[in-house]
Amino acid sequence: MAAQSCSQFHVFSAEEIEFIAEDELIEIVPNMRMDQLNLIRGDFGPFLPQIATEVPLWLAVALKKRGKCRIRPPEWMSVEKLTQVLEAERDSEKEFQVLPFHYVEISRLLFDHAQDDIPDIYMVRSLMEDIRDVRFHKVETSLETFDGRTSAVQIRSLSAMEVNIVRPFVARALQAFQKLGNMVPETDSVPSTRPQGTDKAARGRRILRGR
Amino acid sequence: MANYYDVDDIITEEENISVIFQKAVNGVGIDPGSEKNCVEQGSKVELPFWLASELCLRNTVVAQVPACFDEKTRLEVQADPACVDLRSRSPYFYEFGCKVAPVTGDRTIGFLLFSAFKSRYKEVLTKAHTAANVANPKFLSRLTKEEVHLYEAAQSSMAAFKKWRKGGPRLQPASVLRMKRKSTN
Repeated sequence: MAAQSCSQFHVFSAEEIEFIAEDELIEIVPNMRMDQLNLIRGDFGPFLPQIATEVPLWLAVALKKRGKCRIRPPEWMSVEKLTQVLEAERDSEKEFQVLPFHYVEISRLLFDHAQDDIPDIYMVRSLMEDIRDVRFHKVETSLETFDGRTSAVQIRSLSAMEVNIVRPFVARALQAFQKLGNMVPETDSVPSTRPQGTDKAARGRRILRGR
Repeated sequence: MANYYDVDDIITEEENISVIFQKAVNGVGIDPGSEKNCVEQGSKVELPFWLASELCLRNTVVAQVPACFDEKTRLEVQADPACVDLRSRSPYFYEFGCKVAPVTGDRTIGFLLFSAFKSRYKEVLTKAHTAANVANPKFLSRLTKEEVHLYEAAQSSMAAFKKWRKGGPRLQPASVLRMKRKSTN
């Protein structure tokens, strides 16, 4: 609790995460002819009508706004895939399904700018919401299992936005737990067979992981 | 080691703690009960923590466990930690406890703090994320400063996310552009 300022833990805002997500690649089908683009991160194009090509999301959105292309929604954004994911999320208590790291941001950008390119957009949108809610609820329940011996958390395939939401809270809570945990005299919960140094490290790293 | 300029840390150390003088001290007016300008041996005085801890180091005084960590609080915390009004005990309950424990030599304080925080943490967690932007003054008034910080951290990040999801203007004009153009001559 040495650090009382809240802003310190808030590393990214949602907008910044979205900005990072715009670097993800996505497939578009241009309807114009354009030469290759030589960007710092690589070359994209050449763009030929009706020939699909991969570009960063920001470029796709920019072209889409000018009516120069159609965006092909990624494979995981189909109704069947999302229904599967949602069911799997609901079935397993701890485990998170594998979705792209930026799925929240990508889906929002596509919903905003490329509604006409996504088949069954209403269905997809509501599935997306459900998946996000289920996952966030799971994150919360796993945070509830914290006890004083937790000093690191590992949850597999959590997405950027989900991590970002809980980051300030978790960082603070872990700090408080660590401080108060140090106050408690050593109990017999730790097998004292290890040498002193590694013992302390191992005790601190009770890892919370989805199995 | 806490930050020297940390205001919360300074306020924490302002909290009073009662001490018993082991030696007679001359030339100080810290005992409001005595008429003379000195403190007699064995007198009981309330001092701010920062002073008491220094005197303790010099073996001048013996610190007693402050009232906010007394038996009554302990029993209440054991019964239902989430409902105890810790703020009225001390707004910096945990920080103060951490400082008091080594001075008084009471090793049970650590356990009290730890078990209280562990169960109150869950309450904060569920309230912070579910009761989104519904201010619950009754609940908040029971929390200590640290818990309020935790609650606010969770709430503000959730609110920021919801705001982002709802959308709105994505691009904001730079403040330079918003200024009215002035005539050059």
